[in-house]
Amino acid sequence: MAVQPATLNRRSFVYRELAALGATFREVNGCAVAATLAAGRAAEIAAARDLGLADLSGLRRGGYKGWTALDWLRGQGVAIGENNMTLKQGDGSRVARLADSEAMILGDLAGGSALLDRVEAGWSITGALGAYPVPRPETNFWFAIAGRHSDTMLAKICGVDLRPHRFPDGAVAQTSVARMSAIIIRHDLGATLGYDMIADSAAASYMWTSLQDAMDEFGGRPVGLDAIVALAAETGPA
Amino acid sequence: MMASRLPAPAGVLIDRSKPITFNFCGQDYTGFQGDTIASALAANGVGMLSRSFKYHRPRGLMTAAGQDANTLVQIGDEPNVLADLRAIEAGLAITAQNVFGSLANDYANVLDGLGRFLPVGFYYKTFFRPKGAWRYWEKLIRALAGLGKVDVGAHHGYYDKQYLFCDVAVVGGGAAGLAAAQAAAAAGADVILIEENVRLGGALNYARFDVEGRRGRGLRADLVPRIEADQNIRVLTGAFANGWFADHWIPVIQGNRMYKLRAGAVVIASGSYEQPLVFRNNDLPGVMFSSAAQRLIKLYGVKPGTRAVVATANADGYGAALDLLDAGVDVACIADLRPQRGDGPLADAVRDRGVPIVQGATVSEAIPQKGNLGIEAARVAKITGQGTTADVDDRFGCDLIVTAVGYNPTANLIHHAGGTFVYNDDTAMFELTALPQGMQAAGSVNGSFDIDAVIEDGGKGGWSAARNAGCKVGPMPTVRNDRGAFGVNHPWPIFPHPKGRDFIDFDEDLQVHDILDAIAEGYDDVELMKRFSTCGMGPSQGRHSSLNSVRLTARATGRSVTDTGTTTSRPPYAAETFGVLAGRSFEPERKTAMHHRHLELGARMMPAGQWWRPEYYGPPERRSLSIREEAAVVREAVGIIDVSTLGGLEVCGPDAAEFLNRVYTFAYAKQPVGRARYLLMTDQHGVIIDDGVACRLHDHHFYVTATTSGVGGVYQHMLFWNAQWRLQVNITNATASWCGVNLAGPKARDVLAAVCTDVDLSSAAFPYMAVREGTIAGVPARIIRIGFVGELGYEIHAPASQGEALWDALMVAGEPHGIRPFGIEAQRLLRLEKGHIIIGQDTDGLTNAIEAEMAWAISRNKPYFVGKRALAIQEKNGIKRKLVGFTLGNPADPAPKESHLVIRDGEITGRTTSVNYSYALGRTIGLAYVATDQAEPGTAFQIRIEKGRMIDAVVTKPPFYDPDGRRQEL
Amino acid sequence: MKILNCPLNGPRNISEFVWGGEVKEHPALDCTDEQWVDYAVLENNTAGVVREWWYHVPTAYWIIAERNTVTDEIIRTYPARELFKDRVEFPAPAVKP
Repeated sequence: MAVQPATLNRRSFVYRELAALGATFREVNGCAVAATLAAGRAAEIAAARDLGLADLSGLRRGGYKGWTALDWLRGQGVAIGENNMTLKQGDGSRVARLADSEAMILGDLAGGSALLDRVEAGWSITGALGAYPVPRPETNFWFAIAGRHSDTMLAKICGVDLRPHRFPDGAVAQTSVARMSAIIIRHDLGATLGYDMIADSAAASYMWTSLQDAMDEFGGRPVGLDAIVALAAETGPA
Repeated sequence: MMASRLPAPAGVLIDRSKPITFNFCGQDYTGFQGDTIASALAANGVGMLSRSFKYHRPRGLMTAAGQDANTLVQIGDEPNVLADLRAIEAGLAITAQNVFGSLANDYANVLDGLGRFLPVGFYYKTFFRPKGAWRYWEKLIRALAGLGKVDVGAHHGYYDKQYLFCDVAVVGGGAAGLAAAQAAAAAGADVILIEENVRLGGALNYARFDVEGRRGRGLRADLVPRIEADQNIRVLTGAFANGWFADHWIPVIQGNRMYKLRAGAVVIASGSYEQPLVFRNNDLPGVMFSSAAQRLIKLYGVKPGTRAVVATANADGYGAALDLLDAGVDVACIADLRPQRGDGPLADAVRDRGVPIVQGATVSEAIPQKGNLGIEAARVAKITGQGTTADVDDRFGCDLIVTAVGYNPTANLIHHAGGTFVYNDDTAMFELTALPQGMQAAGSVNGSFDIDAVIEDGGKGGWSAARNAGCKVGPMPTVRNDRGAFGVNHPWPIFPHPKGRDFIDFDEDLQVHDILDAIAEGYDDVELMKRFSTCGMGPSQGRHSSLNSVRLTARATGRSVTDTGTTTSRPPYAAETFGVLAGRSFEPERKTAMHHRHLELGARMMPAGQWWRPEYYGPPERRSLSIREEAAVVREAVGIIDVSTLGGLEVCGPDAAEFLNRVYTFAYAKQPVGRARYLLMTDQHGVIIDDGVACRLHDHHFYVTATTSGVGGVYQHMLFWNAQWRLQVNITNATASWCGVNLAGPKARDVLAAVCTDVDLSSAAFPYMAVREGTIAGVPARIIRIGFVGELGYEIHAPASQGEALWDALMVAGEPHGIRPFGIEAQRLLRLEKGHIIIGQDTDGLTNAIEAEMAWAISRNKPYFVGKRALAIQEKNGIKRKLVGFTLGNPADPAPKESHLVIRDGEITGRTTSVNYSYALGRTIGLAYVATDQAEPGTAFQIRIEKGRMIDAVVTKPPFYDPDGRRQEL
Repeated sequence: MKILNCPLNGPRNISEFVWGGEVKEHPALDCTDEQWVDYAVLENNTAGVVREWWYHVPTAYWIIAERNTVTDEIIRTYPARELFKDRVEFPAPAVKP
């Protein structure tokens, strides 16, 4: 059901930009998420195959940091891979290991994360000695970048080699993007090349603008969450 | 007139079906798509493109490759465009540069006759007497000597940058580069091939390798399609690899974009620059390199002249002569500088076509047309010794003189990387002797001139680079021993003329005697000679002057060329614009959750680091009134200020308190949960670097605030120390996750009570310096009772995503109490009334905690904190200054500005740091550093304000307002 | 632009890092003033291989690099914990000054 962002306490860091693009919002986790923009679902799916930018800031995410964080998470049944790699979990969440002492948990595209629900319920400051929550939903915006031009577009603002044959699905780059620290995760959507960008929420509107500028030459444009969900539902490469 | 256009296959770059009309110096001309400005003008019989820098002599096409300054023109607001590189476009309006009057009739060419009054180094010695004379001359000289005109009102173009990655970068798309790219790609390397011209192939496109003139075309047709079809090779044409930086980092400029290319290995196949023959009037339009004449013919289908004299010392001159003959140019004579007849099929073919060849001779002078606008004839004389010619000569009428006396390697990127070249007297060339790690050279830059050797050399370079980049390679390819470097360069193509105009450096109008004069003045090292004479310092950066000026220096100083050495080449290789360097110029901006609410309320926003903060609310013309009103509302009712930009750090773990004890000066071990305490951070020198508040939320958890601009450094500092201490503490920078407001004023509690029902706000339950967690209008919040502005106040921190909702709720709740938002300016005044310092404004990079009168915030019982020892040493050695409050001795005096000096007996003893007029107190108040013996309250001191006026001030112990602090503890 | 190999993030442009000075041994708390000044203020400016602190800004990660200050060659990088293995205590001085 359509909802207006300002009727909810929790608001995306770029809700004004999305509203100006004719967004239709729906409520996810007490936040209005732009499901579609003015172009509509079908056009946005087509656009995102080439190059699309979507705001996922309303979706579920979290993280833990500290000298026992990885062990504690493993004890909670979280699968953790190598540093700067992401592992997909049974419930559709993804866990990115950011350091020997930190992991970030990204929920699914529907806005849920059974894993985070469970981990958060099991945490207490003394019970999880050495593992402390990182307020990812507030510290960071979360954008999805999709489409075959994604890596070339990102090369205009990011100095890490993100080309698909060098930066595999699930790989994490913690680097500088348009002169801001950011986390980039390769996250293909079905057969479509894709990246997550997670960075300073206070700079969300700056990054949104910078990305659109970088996307222009490829005809890239913002899209709604529905387009991202639709691409993710397509069958990926065997 | 398009009469001089040649039929295909000449003119591979132009599309004869697409005429384009443009304007040069007020007259319309028509060229074809693919023409450069210079080629289109040449096709229209226009040979003169510019006037020289110093003497305003007519200049024309010399390299036809964008390598000289002769072709610089202005297009609208864009100065210094290379006319032999820039493609024509319909309607382009091009003007000549450095011209007074018209290009053909430049009044300033009188300077050509006054050359003897403008000796080498004249900048350094003329115009300085009498004293002050330079001020007069400077204007005139700058006007005369400038190149293009900068339009300061020019629009901002769109420029950007992009990173590129590859295993092997190949610089240069000629035969060697093509072969290198192909070899590297064959080994599985990811290759980027960078070519500055629009068409791959380099000399294969224009040079003559065989009598029939088919070899270059054939080789190109073989190599280029394979490169273009190779999925492993990306080709960038019209792109300049403009420098080499550490770890194979190469800026590649293509149009308005700079690629920042990171390569695993590099092959430099940049070729070489053809070098000029030095003789009288060798700068006239119509004197050009053999490669330039061939480029005009082959690339653009333009006949370079009607009757030519060719001066050559190698086979390329004969190749050019054949091309001229094929193009219908009458070749009047070949002057071959070599004493013996050059063997080889090209020379034979020229002879067979009946062209007279004079062996052991050179063009000794070009006879100008009236006004120096072109050539009328060439004098050809026998060479009698090194740089000397016989008195008798033959005069050949001609409008074109083509020279082919050798090459100098295009070694720029190799120099940037630390490679070295040494002169070889046998070949009369600079030869590569040492290559930096991971760099290969191939082709003529590497001393390969025979075309088959060039291609082999390229293949070997590509193979080596692929191996360096970690690719699996086959056996090393071989290159023939004789790479054709002998008989290419003439050792002394310099024939000075008693009457001069024998140019060594065309950009700077330097003649042979200028170089010799510089040496005679004692500038006998090439680096000194270069700087004094400015040889090689013009736009073409010595491409055509370096070799000959080094030869001259060597001979004049009695050294070998090898010993004389060469000047250092530094980036950039080609001229680059500031726009390209700036790119998109990313300026990160951070906005708080309430940013748009401030705008809606009419706030004037100001930058605070990357953040935007409200300075005050209201129109600029009401600035001081708004600030005064905002401050008054806080004192009398209630105000609200956005403090989201404050740093927020979560410090967690069993050692959290111990950690804070070590990085801050105060004591935190016994701080109870639910209480807040002031934080002062010093560095290892005892210098104050930040302050804030520590809120203890749990035995294992402090929420620590830091200053807006300081938090990044504080976080880094904390991590630095704990990387060494290994305490059980985790630090998270949560700045962006918390928005915050300070609700301050006597009515603050009433406002908060209306929207916060789960916290007991009574003074007894929630006293000053306490912290509580609760909910405000449904928004979870940390509420801290602190009072930077000295009133009953609550600093409310809430999740950033809910900041707007929090703001709205408080504004609605505050409405009955007359709430107003206040900005940074009002806050600065209010805190000054309380005597609270602002780190960075009232402290500087040397302020220690004692002199800032912060001793109260230092716990001396702790065994250690960062800065403790330094403070102890400084106290022992004696504190030199103190930060004090002051008021004015005479309230009617103008207020000092910040950083006005405190002066005693002519000596500076301090400075003011904060000054403001307090409406609440009805007087000017401030903070200042003074000498320690001036720091007692009541001491009078003097401040020097604007225009040197001294005013009296009196040390006044802060707080100025509510000294007992009753209001904040209500 | 130079590359620095981060033990966590791999080879990165050196612009992602902040230099943190030479790794110095912290003197004992009862050292002389001169020893303290030598530690806190004076730099060795060693020509040769030095151990330096470098901070990777995007991951807020302090590392140690061994670098030749003459050739600017970075020889080795590793996490700070390889050098700083144990918890550091600052016991209260036995005698009050």
